[in-house]
Amino acid sequence: MTEQQTITATPKYNFPQPAIETSLPQRFIELSIHSLKHVQNRPFQLNQQTFQQNNQKEQIQAGRVELQHIPLKRRLEETAVAAVDTSSIKIGETSKGILIAVRGASIWKKKRNYRYLRLGPFIFHITDENRKEVYNTLQMTYFNSSYEQNRQSSPSLFQMPTRIANLLERWLQNTLSKTVSNGLILFDGSLTSGIADTPSQRMKEILDNTRKRDNVVLAFSKMTTLRLNGYLITDVLLGYKPPYLFELSGLKPKPPIVLLGDVYVARLTKGNYAFRLDIDKKVPVERRVESIEKLLGNDLLSQSYPETLRLAHIFCTFTANEVIAMQHFIARKYNLKIINRPDMHRLLFGPFGKGESCS
Amino acid sequence: MKIYKKEGNILQILSFPNETIEKGDYLLIEDGDDATKALIVQVIDVQFANIPGILEELLRSLPDGGEVMEGEDFDPLEIAPHIMYIQDARLLTCKIRATIENESLSPSSSWLPSRSRSIIKKLPLPTLLKLAKTDGKLPIILGGTKDASLLTIDASSLDGRLNIITGKKETGKSHLSKLLIPSLVRYGATVVVFDLNGEYISLGMTADGRRNAYHHKVHVLTPSQNFKVALKQLNLHVLLNILIHALHLPGTSAREFRRIWRSLKETGNLTMHELGEAIRNWRCNQHVRDALFSRYYALVNSGVFTDNVAEGMLLEESLFRAKKEGGAIIINLRNTSSIDRQIVVEYLLGRLVELLTSWKLKAIFLFAEEAHLYLRETYWDDIVTRMRHFGIFTTFITNQPDTIRQNIYRQADNIFLFNFTNEHDLEVVSRAARVDAETVKSVARDLPPHYCLALGKVVRDFPMVAKVKALDVKTMGETRLFFKDMN
Repeated sequence: MTEQQTITATPKYNFPQPAIETSLPQRFIELSIHSLKHVQNRPFQLNQQTFQQNNQKEQIQAGRVELQHIPLKRRLEETAVAAVDTSSIKIGETSKGILIAVRGASIWKKKRNYRYLRLGPFIFHITDENRKEVYNTLQMTYFNSSYEQNRQSSPSLFQMPTRIANLLERWLQNTLSKTVSNGLILFDGSLTSGIADTPSQRMKEILDNTRKRDNVVLAFSKMTTLRLNGYLITDVLLGYKPPYLFELSGLKPKPPIVLLGDVYVARLTKGNYAFRLDIDKKVPVERRVESIEKLLGNDLLSQSYPETLRLAHIFCTFTANEVIAMQHFIARKYNLKIINRPDMHRLLFGPFGKGESCS
Repeated sequence: MKIYKKEGNILQILSFPNETIEKGDYLLIEDGDDATKALIVQVIDVQFANIPGILEELLRSLPDGGEVMEGEDFDPLEIAPHIMYIQDARLLTCKIRATIENESLSPSSSWLPSRSRSIIKKLPLPTLLKLAKTDGKLPIILGGTKDASLLTIDASSLDGRLNIITGKKETGKSHLSKLLIPSLVRYGATVVVFDLNGEYISLGMTADGRRNAYHHKVHVLTPSQNFKVALKQLNLHVLLNILIHALHLPGTSAREFRRIWRSLKETGNLTMHELGEAIRNWRCNQHVRDALFSRYYALVNSGVFTDNVAEGMLLEESLFRAKKEGGAIIINLRNTSSIDRQIVVEYLLGRLVELLTSWKLKAIFLFAEEAHLYLRETYWDDIVTRMRHFGIFTTFITNQPDTIRQNIYRQADNIFLFNFTNEHDLEVVSRAARVDAETVKSVARDLPPHYCLALGKVVRDFPMVAKVKALDVKTMGETRLFFKDMN
């Protein structure tokens, strides 16, 4: 049913290794197919609404924050750059639950070329009955712990797409951390842990593995809610000539939130774009700056954002065409009858009803 | 396939990659609920369906400086083929051609089948031809269709009709004419061909130069050689038509000529020699005499006119033989000058009208290649109005559609259209009354050489594409090439 990944190792970076851990994707497939079997011959309602992987509001106090300007220079020493991203989307509703799809992508840059590994899409039928089972099975498979052990409550039905995608993302990150050597691993988001989908222990393990192979994790957040004197941290201090970093020291997260990285504002190219950048706390400060300078010398940067990470996002994002294809697949393979329930917003408010997603 | 949209008599149908539908194909749309009714539509254009997200999909596949990015997809559920399937979905633009109701066809498009429950399938051309009843007692096989069936028309659908064969150079117009002529002859028809380039003179020969079954029915008449006219055979008005229309004789001079003619006829001296003498000695204005002399010498120099009545009998003999057993009279205008061509055509058309008016001939099929080179202005209207009633049924063959007058297109009953790429040419042809502009513009543009779009009564107004069948006829009229032997 499932295939062993046929990934050829690149001699220089030894990435990804043939002996890559495949138990998670296998479990994903098994669970995916198992969950879909229960949905056979049912009517399902198409849904245009997509799940955004919303960042939870960061419970971090930026009280007495000190800023330190760090100018950067490009370092051209050849360094592997790899990035991971995942996405999830709701593709429909059934009478008992929701149909979701998740997909993940790893991108790595080899000399001047980018390569990709894309996993998925994995389609799940999540119901109130099976959501715990699905989530726990996936957790157990890879992290050897169930959600119940850590939390009192299980993720709600509508949290499931992001949670499953998150699980896949952590797995991909861990895989990269075990396969790339002397490289830069780019994460999408921050290194904030202790929140529901990012337990501290798990994140620490990933970072530990990364350091063991002399890699540095650079986590870029597209959006941040961190503010300094009422302004978003990415909107202040744009007066310097890029590329540069600003280190924000003295940030105090509210427990149980833990910052596993030090927070920086990175403005790497001309233009008014800056991003929050988290760099592993346990990496020496000099190495952090060196890593960013290596990123400048080894990856394309457009609007201050690394191309490798941008590609990872592009490769995992679902297009409308793919959503239609997945709906077609489900309808064909599992004989689901597509129904169109009326949109109550449209029904009640006519042209003033903008649909559920905009409610 | 699913119905997507209807606007006017255009129906848009969503088709998937496993359904191989091409431009020109016919589809039958049956209503899921009402089995007695069905819609016949023809595909006039095939486009990619406007799938949301397709641009992102394509951009994603080429993100690395225009080169395809290398990588691996681990797609355990095998969704990729479904993505391709959706990406390659096509939108068929179809023209509603007819409605079948209780097994009879009607051109109405007022009825619309269900969008969700209708069953759409390809309508094989033989089935359509059977439904349209295009086959009759006098079948002519035009050629093969895309689905390997034969497109057969009935010779009677050319009878009494005005036809146009048009298309750009070297697409097979003359080839189709050479197919139609023997087919009509086979059914006993009399065919007259104005052969501008000597292309039809070997219709009676096979490709390897042997005589074919029509050899004795093909009569090639070459002006000034075996096609001559004795003045005694001529009616005054035919000759006056030649003088006025082909040789532009002024009215005053024409009046004097009429007097000369009558005088000669009364004395029984209607010969070329006597005509010359009469003009010389006639009491008239010197300018009139000069005008008459210049036209007289033009007639003499054409070599068409003779005093030997026996020499001038071949045309009528050929026509009467053709009347009995069917035959083609090929008027070889290959080495004939422009003026002489007009003299010959004026004479021939005048003579044919005489013979048809007196019922000495029943009707003739006239094939005219590049008629603008020899047909005078006033004849165009005559052909679509008057001549049809005499029994002259014309087929125009041209690669310059704008040389045929608009009213000819409007009244054309059948059009055999070969490839055109020029917008202007397509625009001209699309003015024909029996066809819609969209079909002409969309289908004709993509026709390969030797493929013809048949429009009009021959196909009961169901436009059909066929590859004109090969002929075992000696090819003439090939372009002479300088480098032919060097290659």
